[in-house]
Amino acid sequence: MENIIEVKSLAKIFGNKAALEDVSFQVEKGETFGFLGPSGSGKTTTIKILTGQLLQTSGDATVFNLPVTSLNKPSYRKRIGVITDNSGLYQRLSIYDNLKLYCDLYDVPTKRIDEVLEMVNLTEDTKKVVSKLSKGMLQRVTLARAFLHEPELLFLDEPTSALDPVNSKHIHDGLRKLNEKGTTIFLTTHDMSEAESLCKRVAFLHKGKIQLLDEPKVLRRQFSDSSVTVELKDGRELNLPGGSKGANEIYKYLSTDQVVSIHSNEPTLGDIFVEVTGRELV
Amino acid sequence: MTFSMKRVMAIFQKDMKDLYKNMYVSSTILMPLIFAFFYGRMDDLTVEVHFVVINLTLAIVTAFLQCSIIAEEKEKNTLRGLMLSPATIPEILGGKSLVTFILTAITIILCTMLTGYEPTNIGIIAIAIVISSLFYIALGTLMGLISRTVIEASVLILPVMFIFGFGSMFVPFAEQYPILSVIDYLPNIQLVELAAAVEAGSGFGDVLGNLGIIVAWVIIGMIATVIVFKKRELDE
Repeated sequence: MENIIEVKSLAKIFGNKAALEDVSFQVEKGETFGFLGPSGSGKTTTIKILTGQLLQTSGDATVFNLPVTSLNKPSYRKRIGVITDNSGLYQRLSIYDNLKLYCDLYDVPTKRIDEVLEMVNLTEDTKKVVSKLSKGMLQRVTLARAFLHEPELLFLDEPTSALDPVNSKHIHDGLRKLNEKGTTIFLTTHDMSEAESLCKRVAFLHKGKIQLLDEPKVLRRQFSDSSVTVELKDGRELNLPGGSKGANEIYKYLSTDQVVSIHSNEPTLGDIFVEVTGRELV
Repeated sequence: MTFSMKRVMAIFQKDMKDLYKNMYVSSTILMPLIFAFFYGRMDDLTVEVHFVVINLTLAIVTAFLQCSIIAEEKEKNTLRGLMLSPATIPEILGGKSLVTFILTAITIILCTMLTGYEPTNIGIIAIAIVISSLFYIALGTLMGLISRTVIEASVLILPVMFIFGFGSMFVPFAEQYPILSVIDYLPNIQLVELAAAVEAGSGFGDVLGNLGIIVAWVIIGMIATVIVFKKRELDE
């Protein structure tokens, strides 16, 4: 599979503080790649370097096989979409007028506006002036803007951080549709459930370094202790170890028809992050 | 380097809509008109007085308006959105300058109607004002890019408005203080000299020196603007 992003030994130092240290990873074409880490871990710095908004201190990064330092060409910009913390909207204009501008800049027909507003659940609010929108609605308009031209590569920095669960689900469905159409997605988040539901692979970023990188299910398996929780009809919940000892006990309860449910105790990505880094993902 | 008129017009149309709703900026257009109205009530205005109003328009409307438009784009992080779009620097700056240019042209036409200015050679004067407005647009863009906020831009642009809007007031001091002789080369003073020469019967060839100096200011202004714009494409 072709790599769309390749990063080798990337480092970024602000003053005497290292924001990124020896970061290396690849993102395959068509993949949704999750970059997970708490605030200040270097996620936004990485996106800014990969989108040509910030120069790295050392290391190599290529996007579409082009060094990121030469990514300011319009032909490249047409292929990407970017949402970061500094993606602004025109406050005095309506949602429609904001999106119309970007339709013209990206040479996209204006009928696409209805499609993207459907994706972010804002079809009823087209004429609303941006200055009157809530934080969540602003975030959805910004996302709609990034979806307009169906980019080959979409960089999303905490795309659902200000959204309620219903609207987050709308955005996730929209992202899945885009991904199915071929958009590669580079997603930063500290929401583990978002990462689990969207990402093929995830990287854990902590203190500017990648601590782990793999598929969520592989990581969960790797960090699982193989134990299971058995809920019995008398209300007890038993944590049983894996292996023959646990199997014998489970068999005992099953054969006497005492079992209500059996769950494997795989850790969540959040649990794994805490285990690896010693801190919560907030 | 591509150049898409569609993208230029998209930015222009967006700015027109935005400016229409921005009373703080659009009301500045009234100031030169008020000056022109009062000067227009005086008898026998000299060409220098007519150009006090025109230079004031270039400083207040052209430079200030452009500065505010760019500074607001920076402050609200919308300029970065344009920079990350397929629009090129000429398209972005062209679109953003077109609104200012048109409003400048309208204001100057209204001002000359109010003051009753009828140049001997309207062609030369029009060319000189158009070239001058390009300098003030570049200057406004530069100041807007340097500023972090609209408020900061409003403060930064004040000395610019003072020097270029009222610069002719300092010309008499240039003889007394040689260091001030540099004022003679300012585009606003060159514009007044050119207009006076045209009024005295000079033709296009006679004012090429004045036009050349104004064009040099335009080139310097544009180069500085593009350098700063490119720097602003990157975070520090």
